[in-house]
Amino acid sequence: MKPLHQFWTIWTKELRDGARDRRSIASVLIGTVMTPLLFGVMITVVASRNKSAEEIKLPVAGSQYAPAFMNWLRQQTGVEIVPAPADPEAAVRERKEDVVLIIDKDFAKDMGRAIPAPVKLVSDSTREGSRPKVTRVRKLVNAYSGQLAALRLLARGVAPSVAQPVGLEEVEVSSAQQKLAELLNILPLMLVLAALTGGMQIAIDTTAGERERGSLEPLLLSPVPRGVLAAGKCLAAAAFGCGSVLFSMLLTVNVMRRVPWQDLGIRFRVSDGNLLSLLALILPLALFLSAVVAFVSIFARSFKEAQGYIGYIILLPMLPGIIASLYPLSNRPYLAPIPVLGQYALAADVLGGKPPAVAFYILAGLSVLACAAALMALSARLLKREAIIFGR
Amino acid sequence: MIELSGLRKKFGEVEAVRDVSFTAADGTVVGLLGPNGAGKTTTLRMLSGLMRPDAGTIRLDDADVVADPIGAQTRMGLLPDSRGLYPRLTPIEHIEYFGKLHGLSGPALAQRTQALITLLGLGEVSKRRVAGFSQGERTKVALARALVHQPRNVILDEPTNGLDVLSTRAMRDLIRGLRRDGCCVLFSSHIMQEVSALCDRIVVIAHGKVVADGTPDELRSLTGRENLEDAFVVLTGQMEEVS
Repeated sequence: MKPLHQFWTIWTKELRDGARDRRSIASVLIGTVMTPLLFGVMITVVASRNKSAEEIKLPVAGSQYAPAFMNWLRQQTGVEIVPAPADPEAAVRERKEDVVLIIDKDFAKDMGRAIPAPVKLVSDSTREGSRPKVTRVRKLVNAYSGQLAALRLLARGVAPSVAQPVGLEEVEVSSAQQKLAELLNILPLMLVLAALTGGMQIAIDTTAGERERGSLEPLLLSPVPRGVLAAGKCLAAAAFGCGSVLFSMLLTVNVMRRVPWQDLGIRFRVSDGNLLSLLALILPLALFLSAVVAFVSIFARSFKEAQGYIGYIILLPMLPGIIASLYPLSNRPYLAPIPVLGQYALAADVLGGKPPAVAFYILAGLSVLACAAALMALSARLLKREAIIFGR
Repeated sequence: MIELSGLRKKFGEVEAVRDVSFTAADGTVVGLLGPNGAGKTTTLRMLSGLMRPDAGTIRLDDADVVADPIGAQTRMGLLPDSRGLYPRLTPIEHIEYFGKLHGLSGPALAQRTQALITLLGLGEVSKRRVAGFSQGERTKVALARALVHQPRNVILDEPTNGLDVLSTRAMRDLIRGLRRDGCCVLFSSHIMQEVSALCDRIVVIAHGKVVADGTPDELRSLTGRENLEDAFVVLTGQMEEVS
């Protein structure tokens, strides 16, 4: 009973001490709030660009030379023909227009002689934002051209299919949910980062900070087994990590439910069940990450020194993200036992609409907790070293 | 009761403690006296169980400190060299934290905490966070947390370091009080008045060795000096520098 009582004492003390550290809590909150908000803004901007391609105002110079073409364009959904600026190229260059169509004055004559009637499409390919609109206009022109070609062949008694030796049919296998998953890949990363940053301050403060203040030696003079001490500190840090994960998730989900996904042709369908699955994956990771930070920070004589080491630990959750961009992590549940990477792999499946079997969650959770326990045991050993107790 | 015998500790090539043996009985105050770098702090660290001696034995009542440091720590209250506090906690929270780690709880803990607050005169600041406390107030908090479990053996490393006159007096009163209660008190110092005012016995350390061990009178007659400070200088081999 006594070690349990001691554990509880240490845990509650570190929680109280940590909760009073307003400055580091504020820094964690700001970090947690910024990422989902930026993500929301990003998606909204992309969506509004896509939307801009559906409802277009198309400036056309020389529309009087091709009345039939103009009529056809007006009949297409969401297309409005507007007068072009005096100098179309300058207007596009100066970003006053995304795209301008120029009809040559010989359009009708060339059309009548059945030679390609010149139409110029003025655009700036370096402008990411105008690309969907330009693509739409190009498709419209090609469609009109294709229709006329078919009519001409028919008038000459030739089946239009003759002019199409290859029939290309595109088959899209990725479900809308998978497209969404690609975008949502940032969600596990955000949660893992929240788990890390949320517990980090406490994990450093209760180890390197304790050494820096000179309070480690007095603490070690109380009859507490070192393992209990390490566990109390790591679990207190993990509690903050978990709080940060929950906060980040609530915020992110609220942001995501407000983003105009329909403009991207995607339905945002992340169920509460999916979110709970993610939590089941990430929350145990908070303990592991806290244990990593605490273990590393014990080597540091000061908070600053520890922060220097932690700079590299931040790479830990980033690295699997980089791996994921080279080798997709979905459909690889056997990665489950590898801390962090396993969580990303399973999370990719959850968000891809193919949730892995419960056994994999348990495997991932147990593995990550075992690693955390091993790290805490190592930390406990370090707390017996004279160089660490007295080295200031 | 504290018994040290044949204590040795080496840091690399440096022999910090070569041969330290002495005994401190219950109900007495023993002063560990020595110039800076004589090995006082190293000796106390080994006594605390946090540092392993290369050779020698340390007994605290009937516990072997080297074999069972945690068992020994329940019987000792130690004010170490480093007195770091938690800046965001109050003195009461400090005392209660360490009390709980020693297994105290409930009304017994509350009572003991209050008694220490009163004893050390921390009443006014007891509910204030310790960030910004004066050196004297910090030392008192550190002392309170070391004494919360009412240890029978009290070890103080330079307890009056950085204290003003008033706080020094309070510290002396506290040490006398502990002796009255039958505790064994061992404290280190390099200040002569401190030691002569309080100690029943003085152990003088120099260059990692015990060079003298006796009552103040015995030390005076041993060296043939009336003044204890002169006796100290003779004993620690600093004679040439002085004369």
